[in-house]
Amino acid sequence: MEYDENGVSIVPSEFKKEIFEEAGKDFRYQEYVRGCLNCGVCTGGCPPHRFFDFSPRIVLQNMKSKDPELIWTMMDEYIWACFQCFTCAMICPFLNSPGGIIAILREIAVRRGFESAKKVLKPYSRVLLKLTAYGNQLSPDMIQPDFFPDWGPTIGYASTDLAVKRKAIPMPTLQVTNLSWDVAPEAMKELYAIFDEAGVFKIIEAVDPSLYEIIQDIVDDVRSS
Amino acid sequence: MSENILVVGGGPAGLNAAVMLSELGVNVALVERDSFLGGNPKKFKYKFLFPDMQPADNVIGELIKKAEAGGGIKVYYSSEISDFKENGKKFDVTLKSADGSEKKTFDSVIVATGFEHFDPARDAKYSYQLFDDVIDIKDLERMMGENNFVRPSNGKPPKKIAFILCVGSRDRHVGNQYCSRVCCTVSVKQAIELREHFPDCEAYIFYMDIRTYGFFEDLYWQAMEEYDVQIVKGRIAEITSGPDNTVICKGEDTLLRGPFEIPFDMVVLASGMEGGPQSPEISSKLGIELDEHGFLKPENITLSPFKSNKPGIFLAGACTGPKAISDSITEGAAAAMNAYTYAVKNR
Ligand SMILES: Cc1cc2nc3c(=O)[nH]c(=O)nc-3n(C[C@H](O)[C@H](O)[C@H](O)COP(=O)(O)OP(=O)(O)OC[C@H]3O[C@@H](n4cnc5c(N)ncnc54)[C@H](O)[C@@H]3O)c2cc1C
Ligand code: SF4
Ligand code: SF4
Ligand code: SF4
Repeated sequence: MEYDENGVSIVPSEFKKEIFEEAGKDFRYQEYVRGCLNCGVCTGGCPPHRFFDFSPRIVLQNMKSKDPELIWTMMDEYIWACFQCFTCAMICPFLNSPGGIIAILREIAVRRGFESAKKVLKPYSRVLLKLTAYGNQLSPDMIQPDFFPDWGPTIGYASTDLAVKRKAIPMPTLQVTNLSWDVAPEAMKELYAIFDEAGVFKIIEAVDPSLYEIIQDIVDDVRSS
Repeated sequence: MSENILVVGGGPAGLNAAVMLSELGVNVALVERDSFLGGNPKKFKYKFLFPDMQPADNVIGELIKKAEAGGGIKVYYSSEISDFKENGKKFDVTLKSADGSEKKTFDSVIVATGFEHFDPARDAKYSYQLFDDVIDIKDLERMMGENNFVRPSNGKPPKKIAFILCVGSRDRHVGNQYCSRVCCTVSVKQAIELREHFPDCEAYIFYMDIRTYGFFEDLYWQAMEEYDVQIVKGRIAEITSGPDNTVICKGEDTLLRGPFEIPFDMVVLASGMEGGPQSPEISSKLGIELDEHGFLKPENITLSPFKSNKPGIFLAGACTGPKAISDSITEGAAAAMNAYTYAVKNR
């Protein structure tokens, strides 16, 4: 990467164009980007719009401009402000899906291992590891105040005495706290096959190479078992 | 022997067609579904009409008077077509009312069945019917027509009121992609009337485009210059209830404020025009075409907007799409001319 005198990376315009074209080729693009009335309904209904300088209307307008520069400006921070709630798609009178476009752009950022994607996905590495290693997304011992600030003030209570609380659940819970449920090795192998096909491992390799190595070891173990 | 022509629908378009035909000496049967003439302007008691704020009675009242004066017009109130058959170049029609049925042969037919107001309850984000203080332009027309303009929730005059444009129009979710043409001007007109009669009530208009086309633009400028109506660019995303018995409009001011949530005493939805259930009904009964918007389809929208695809059946007014009263009246005259020519040629 080249840098200018202020240390800001210089991104060649060909590269920006390539990113735009990659988005345009996505099979969902035609469905998500239609006409736009610039009416602001999507933004009016968008939850993060009230907290950040962020507007799904601008996302759609930038996309419709077909200007690679404008689209590039969103890749760093803009697209990560979205909650992916799809309220915008539900209320847009033109049936656009600004949230869907954001999903497309995020996938590009992830596939290509952009810094922004790495930063955003960092907190999820534990989830990814759990998922690939045990087929569980979340286990009780992952519920800790530092990792779930958005769970509100009771998270502290929720994260203590897990073993006892777990016993109180009137369903088979394995009586452990590092797993939510037991996944059979056959199911794990199927899951890996799906991850392979869908390019999930490639994505993990792009955004977090060291996590990728750990995961690969586990995958090899399970596959050879 | 004079010609016999059937006019279906007694709104501005049908009324003018009937009156012009009777002046030509034609025997006109004017069939009206309601128990009164005058169409939507009468039903919802429009009081003053855009563009020049003249009393609606000047226009609608005049036409009704002429139609009811007898002459060559026989009005069938609370009536509909129960049977319709082509008979060579003529039409055999059975008219049904509470008093019974009557079978007649007509030389030609004019359809002027008009429009229905979009029901804003169909778009949940506006909370119409959920909050008493959310009404629509036809409700407001009626309230002002009855000199009864107060907040439905508590009977007090509002201090701050919002108009929301394009409700039920230009929206794929509700199935209406078209612009209803009159609702911008109606809203601007109503905002002016409000500010005139209740100067301490603030009025806001939330728009995505202001379509006060042609000379209607005068009202738009007047609303800003003389009546200090606040005009904000941004469609409302949601209406919720607020403190102190208010309704909150939530949206994006796309030019100035960004996100906003503004409490109002009352919200008026500019609901648009639809072909209504009568358009498909009359289309299948008479065998004439319906368009993709749910209105009746003229043979050629530019060359002959007043002709149906079937010879001898003519169209007038809002049954072929949203339009103002003046256009409806003009089309009534054009359809009358064409229906008369057809009748004379095939006598
Ligand atoms: C809120 C509002 C305010 C408006 N204000 C203005 C204004 O200030 N100035 C202006 O120029 N325009 C105004 N308009 C537009 C105006 O209302 C229309 O242009 C006009 O009413 C159209 O006339 P019409 O005769 O085509 O239809 P309508 O007024 O709809 O009349 C149609 C008639 O046909 C009857 N009918 C329907 N089906 C049948 C059937 N099968 N058999 C028998 N009878 C039938 C109906 O009962 C009705 O009486 C306004 C519109 C709205 C929505
Ligand atoms: S999906 Fe994203 S852009 Fe759309 S409303 Fe939700 S947060 Fe806003
Ligand atoms: S709601 Fe749809 S039409 Fe309106 S500004 Fe957003 S994307 Fe454009
Ligand atoms: S006339 Fe105005 S309010 Fe009515 S649909 Fe058209 S733009 Fe919207």
